[in-house]
Amino acid sequence: MTAWLVGLTIGLPWLGALIVWRVPDHSPQRQHGIAVIASLLTAAVSIGLLTTYSTEVALRLHIGGIFGDFILVPDGLGVLLAAIAAIIGSLTVIFSVAYMEHEACLSRYYALVLIFIGTMAGLVLAGNLLLMFFFWEITALCSYALIAFDHDNPAAVAGGLKALVITQLGGIGLLIGALTAYGRFGTDEIAVLLARAETLSKTELSLIAFSFLIAAMAKSAQVPFHSWLPGAMEAPTPISALIHAATMVNAGVYLLARFYPAFEDVTGWTTAVMTVGIVSALLAALMALVANDLKRVLAYSTISQLGYMVFAVGAGGIFASQFHLLSHAMFKALLFLGAGAVIHSVGTRDIRQMGGLWRSMPQVTIAFIIGAMALVGIPGTNGFWSKELILERGVEDSSPVFVVGLLIGVGLTALYTLRLIWLVFGGTPRFSGQVHEAPSAMRISLGILAVGSLVTWLLVSPLSKMLAETLPYHHLHSETTRDVISDVMTAPITVLALGWVALGFLLWGFHHRLGWLIARLQLLSQIAGQDFGFEALNRVVMRSTSTLAERLRSTQTGELNWNIWGIVAGLVVILIYVAVEV
Amino acid sequence: MNDEELTLLGVVILFGVGVYGLLLTHHLIKIVIALQIIGKAVIIAFAVAGTMSERVQLAQSLIVTIIVADTMVAVISLALVIQVKQRLGTLDARELSNLRR
Repeated sequence: MTAWLVGLTIGLPWLGALIVWRVPDHSPQRQHGIAVIASLLTAAVSIGLLTTYSTEVALRLHIGGIFGDFILVPDGLGVLLAAIAAIIGSLTVIFSVAYMEHEACLSRYYALVLIFIGTMAGLVLAGNLLLMFFFWEITALCSYALIAFDHDNPAAVAGGLKALVITQLGGIGLLIGALTAYGRFGTDEIAVLLARAETLSKTELSLIAFSFLIAAMAKSAQVPFHSWLPGAMEAPTPISALIHAATMVNAGVYLLARFYPAFEDVTGWTTAVMTVGIVSALLAALMALVANDLKRVLAYSTISQLGYMVFAVGAGGIFASQFHLLSHAMFKALLFLGAGAVIHSVGTRDIRQMGGLWRSMPQVTIAFIIGAMALVGIPGTNGFWSKELILERGVEDSSPVFVVGLLIGVGLTALYTLRLIWLVFGGTPRFSGQVHEAPSAMRISLGILAVGSLVTWLLVSPLSKMLAETLPYHHLHSETTRDVISDVMTAPITVLALGWVALGFLLWGFHHRLGWLIARLQLLSQIAGQDFGFEALNRVVMRSTSTLAERLRSTQTGELNWNIWGIVAGLVVILIYVAVEV
Repeated sequence: MNDEELTLLGVVILFGVGVYGLLLTHHLIKIVIALQIIGKAVIIAFAVAGTMSERVQLAQSLIVTIIVADTMVAVISLALVIQVKQRLGTLDARELSNLRR
């Protein structure tokens, strides 16, 4: 039974992709229909999978040779992320029916989305490192192809390539770690690495731990590898919601959470993870404060929230990080889809040219504000509970510097979110033309996600039980919803955090009278607007790489004699090596 | 030095001659000849290896395969050489690479 569910969660969307790929472009209704049915079936199967979690191997594919068996294990962590991918995937597909109406090449679009959903499920259910690497790379390819979906737009193509190059760098990290583990244990099973990590030498374990950290940083867009995520905003908005907010970018956090028990004793590893998280959370929040592109603000906010999750893993809060991951997937998908509805109707992404939209789009406004409240962490939303758990974890297990950083991040989040809402929905309209309420397909998705953002925190108890039962190496203990409520409500940090949120709101409320302060911060805002120089750094690296490649090209003459010299020289080196060895 | 070692020495020399040819020549037909010399060296090496390991039949079957493949390589490359000469009017590999630029 479980084997079937696991196989179907990965296989159904792939099958749907194959079918939708074959549908000709002159029948868009069939393309929409097939994609919606395939994604809804996958979501249903993934919900079934949530109820049958276990630590047993569900599916074993005999590959043979050095690969041995590929296994799929539906443990708590895996089924949670697979379900998030499938459910949010189906909602974005429904949203796309309205958003992508009248677009060309829908077969390609839907096929790539469906392949992505199946692959993401495979990535989190994989029980081998090499299988995981395989899925990891396919998600990067889907992400690239969907960012560059509009391939007549140079910005989209450049954004796609940048995302591909940077996430490939991370992929190399994962591969190094996987091969090191394989070389030492003779198997690449994740369970073996977790069980026998302490038998590795210190150097080997550090190598694996830091390689995985780099992989996670690139995939989860953490500073300094974050610059691909804002560039990825050229993708159609449903893609930004699905891949670049709710699922693929979580793969990095998932990787860190999955291997935390193996790496927690590596010198400096947890501190490095926490530092990466905090730095990303703060810098990205500052960048969100000065960005003027609606989707870029949300992209920076994603980096910032992922920073919180990465920090939580570093502080040992595996449950807190996964809980925030679930909350974030819900509310950020909601925010992105809300932004998509706004962009669809206004026709620009520049928030300086919006304003006053609450009159013409009241339902989208309500949905967006619910998402924003969850992002800020207003009590009653899922973001509140998960973020407070992370803060609590920070107070318990890290230094005061980190806690102060977390709190400043909370204040900044409130500030940029309020600025965003005011500029988009408040005030008077700064654009010309008619604006209409979103079509019903969009409102269905927004409605479901808005309800999700309000109620998913009620799943604390089953979620915590599921993780505690199926992650033997993580030593989690299961908590009930009541425990979490009383924990959060009695923790002093909660009051402090809400105080910071209020301060952020106040700052925005009085920002007209704070001209002197803003003038003082002009320099900071300029630097933040320049991406803190990371964009320039990125360009330098890209340019020097291509110059080096251009120079190296002169060694490739294409002349036979020259190549034979190379072969002979190689042969001589091998002969000398053999002679010395003997 | 016994017969087999002597033959192997011959193989090494023959192989060296072929590689030396590839290293120095720019003439397309000479390149094909050099490749053929290397191929022949390999065939003799297989024959010696078959005798030494007393698996003559395996060696024979491999040698026959190599002869067939090697002949096809020679035929097709010579045909290409003729085409090159007819269309581009030269047999010098360096001049041909200059055409690319």
